[in-house]
Parts: sequence; C-alpha cells; structure tokens
Amino acid sequence: MEEIIFGIGITALAGALATIAGAAEDTESDIGSQGDPNSQVQLAPQMGYIHRIFNKAIAGEPPAYGLWVALGAGLAWAFMAMQINPILAIVLGSALAVFVQGVYATTAYLGRTASLAKFEQPVYIDILKSMTTVTMAHAFVAIFAAVAMCHLIISALGHPFPLPLLGLVWGIALGAAGSATGNPFYGKERQYQEQKFGAGVPISASGNIVRYAEAGERNSLDNGFFSAKLGGPASGICFGLIVFFELWRTVVFEPIAAGWGAVIVGVVVILIFAIIDRYIEVWARKTFGPYVAPEEASS
Amino acid sequence: MAVKIEVGAGGVPHNQILIYGLVGSIILIYLTYLNEVTNTEYFAFFGGLACVAALVWGADTIKHLCSYGLGTGVPSAGMIALGSGVIAALFGATTGVFAPIVAIIVAAIIGAVCGLLANHVVRMDIPVMVVSLTELAVVGAISVLGLIAMVGGTFNFMDLITGTTVVLGFTVQSYGTSVIGGSIVALIFMLAAIAIQHAFNACLGPNEMQDRTLMLAAECGFLSMIPIAVISFAFIAFVPALISLLVSLIGWFYTYMRYIELSKRDAYAWLDAQPILEPKGGA
Repeated sequence: MEEIIFGIGITALAGALATIAGAAEDTESDIGSQGDPNSQVQLAPQMGYIHRIFNKAIAGEPPAYGLWVALGAGLAWAFMAMQINPILAIVLGSALAVFVQGVYATTAYLGRTASLAKFEQPVYIDILKSMTTVTMAHAFVAIFAAVAMCHLIISALGHPFPLPLLGLVWGIALGAAGSATGNPFYGKERQYQEQKFGAGVPISASGNIVRYAEAGERNSLDNGFFSAKLGGPASGICFGLIVFFELWRTVVFEPIAAGWGAVIVGVVVILIFAIIDRYIEVWARKTFGPYVAPEEASS
Repeated sequence: MAVKIEVGAGGVPHNQILIYGLVGSIILIYLTYLNEVTNTEYFAFFGGLACVAALVWGADTIKHLCSYGLGTGVPSAGMIALGSGVIAALFGATTGVFAPIVAIIVAAIIGAVCGLLANHVVRMDIPVMVVSLTELAVVGAISVLGLIAMVGGTFNFMDLITGTTVVLGFTVQSYGTSVIGGSIVALIFMLAAIAIQHAFNACLGPNEMQDRTLMLAAECGFLSMIPIAVISFAFIAFVPALISLLVSLIGWFYTYMRYIELSKRDAYAWLDAQPILEPKGGA
C-alpha cells in the first residue's frame, strides 16, 4: 500500500512538471511561429504582406522537441555518468540543449527570410536579438521540466528505459501536445483576428495575417504574451493530463491480471475523454458558432 | 494554401557533391580506425567530420528530392534517412573493420526498397525518389556510424555495448553504461535527423542559393558534434574528448559566421530596429 501511495505522489509530481513543460513549450513555439502558424507567416511576404514576426521553422514541433528533450536527457545522462549530482546534471544538460535550440532558431530565421528577398522581405536583425533569447528561456523551462520528469520516472518509479530514450519519447509527446492543443489559438485565431469569428481562412485572405499591434507593429513577443494567456496553459493541461493518466494507470492497475489491468484502464480513459471531447465540441458549436449547418462552417 | 517550394538554380552539380561526400566521409570514418591501430582515442573527432561531409551531401539530396513540391515532406525526408540509416549502421558495426562499407551497402538496399515502395505502392511517382532515398539512407548510416565513432572512440559493436562503471572502488563492465545501452544512439538519431533536413528546410524559397544551404548543412553538422563531444567525456579519455570539443567549436564558429555573411549577401535588406517597409507595388 505504501508503495502505491508513494507512486501516486511521484505521478502527481511528474504531472505537475509536465504541465509546466507543456505551457512553456507552446509559448516558445508560438513566439517562433513554429508548427501550425508557420505556413501563413512564411506565405505573408509572398502575398505582399511584409511583417516583423519571428519565423523559426525547425522541422515540426514533435521532432524538434524530440531532439531538444533527448539532447537535454542525453547530456544529463552523460554528466551523471561522470558522477555529477543529478540536479546539476539536468540543469547543465538542459542549458546545452537550449544553446543548440537557439542556434537552430537563428539559422532558420535567417535562411527563410533571406530566401524571400524576391518579395522584398528584409531581415530584421533586432528580431533575432530580442526574440531568440526569449524562446531560449521558454525552451529551457520546457526542457528542464521534461528531463526532470523523465529522471523522476526512472529513478522513483523504476522505468526500465535509459534517460535519453525516455527523453526522446516524452519529448515527441510534448511537442505533439503543444502543436495540437496550443498552436490553433495563435495560428487559427490570432493571426486572423480581423476575419469574422469561426469563418475559417478563405483563399483570398491567405497570408493576410495581423501585422500591426495595439501600438506600433506586432512582433512575436506580443504573440508570446497572448500564448502565455491561452494556448500555453491549454497545452500544459493537455500534456500534464497525458503524463498523469499514463503513470497513474500503470502505478495503480499494473498488478491486476499480469499488467492487462493497466492496458484496459488506458482504453477506458481514452473512451471517456473521447466522449467528453465530443460533448464539448457539440456544445461549443451550438453556443458560440455563428454557423449552424456544418457544411457552411467548413467554407 | 500550400507554400510553393522553389529552389535556386546553378551551383555545383549534385553528382560532384555526391562523389565528394561519399568518398570524403568514408575516408574520414576510416581515420577513426587509427584509434584501434595506435591504441589511443585521439582520432575520435574524425567520426564527427565524416558526419559533416555526409550531411552536406544529404542536404543537397534533400534539395533535389523536395524540389518536386514536398513542402512538409522536408523534415520527413530527414526522418526516413536516419530511420533507414540507423538500422544499417548498427548492423554494419557488428562486422568489425568492414563496418562502414557494410553499413553503406545495407543502407543502400533499405533505401532503395523504401523508394520503390514510395513510388509504386504509395504512388508518389517522383522520378528521383529511388535514387534520393538510397542516397539519404547511406547518408544516414554514415552519420550515425560517424557520431557513434566520435562518442565512443570506435565503431566496433562489442566495445559499444560494454561500458565501465565504478562500484565500491572496483571497475566493472556493464551494458547500461555503454553507448548503445545508454541509448546515446537515440540521441544521435535525432541530432542527425534534424541536422540533415534543417539546411534545406530553413533555406527554401525562391532566392535559395546552393552555397548558403550547404554552408548551413555544415554548420548543423558541427553544431551536432558539440553535444556529442561533451557526451564523449563519459566514454573516452579527457584529452581526446577535449580535442573533439575544440574541433567542433572551431568548425561551428567558422561555418556559423560564414552562414551569416552569406545570409547578409542574399537578404533583401539587413535592418536593425526599423519599421515594416511596405512593398513598392503595394500590398
């Protein structure tokens, strides 16, 4: 019994770390317009809309975060193998991983923007100076929380995977959670807040993203502020719940029927969430949607 | 609306880059074998350089493949390259001194099968698909083998699955502290997969220039070497690991500075804290 209580405590702690990681991850990727919002940021200059928004396309978020977290975990693993204290090792590993992330971000912005010279999109070097550091700070929080969570899963719950491999798996999950949950807030709504709510993005509006802010010109720090308010916490809850339920079902139900208990509970949890999601979607369409018929909503 | 993928014309012909990349990386990867011949670990960094040579070639291959309108397919090309390559590299590592050659042959077979499946089963019908995926799988195999040799000082399988750990003052051998047992290969997989696709993914557009893209590929390679050099402190002696780290840092700094210069050359304008310049034709 004591073991299970200890396990649930660790599960809750890992879930809390995952929530922080998810929130920081989404804010980081939105500041860089990575993932969902990227195609429109990339398209805007081609349509004649010159902008001052950071455009760091480094693969999709899941592979990119797979690398950052695996890198942080791999370096932490190596530092621990060199007899360095785990907390210090995780901090050093995350810091080095963030260095790699920052360099990738700058090269992505320079490359993408220089290749758009035909459309008169200049390189705004102050964007690199002011925003790369902000994405790196958020990435550090995300990577540190994710690697610490993986270390906790291994050292306290006895997971058999080595740290770098677990980092890779959970890093991809982290990127996927942020990409699926948080990005639409920015990519679908904020970039197109001048369009009617729920109207979708007609071809004629492609690339016509919002480029001016309340005062002056919108840059990606404004998007970071926005993401920290809505998309970030949503991604955090999503990833936190994923980690919590994943560990909880294993800790509590694994002894039942030689491990099959945990599998069955996992399927039940997925079904319950599918029903909740469907209910929320239908309710939101009825309550907020300006369109009633679904065929009109998809125009 | 999908972003149209365009690439710049001209530059060095692809076949020339292929030959330089293949021959150069094989020579560089065999230079790490000097470690076994001389019984030291000073030559580990050549593995990383082999990876850089392979990545430059791979970036040019991805450019050729993805100029057929594969926008979101650019990162996927990197993943399939390393996914095929890692199997071939680990299989090749079991064959001792022939490891690089065996890895390249196995990778070419896996890549060709993937290409045939993509063209005839998935029906993507891209003319260069089979050749490109074969090349990419070979690049992936060389990258993995090179970085493995750099982190562990050898590409011999038995040495890669035995690490040493100190228990109560005694040195004991264990699988968990080895390059493969510690899953450093998973990290190498991701490092090379992101590095191989980043160069073209970052530089695509109508003003893409081959020299800038390939300089970025080299930069990604040296950047990937830096964390690998840091991790190699856990596996090889201090001085060889320090040499690896210095080589990586110097190579990275040079290529990064060159890349920024080339970006400055190609950019429409290079502005610091300036407002949006609306285009002359109007939005």
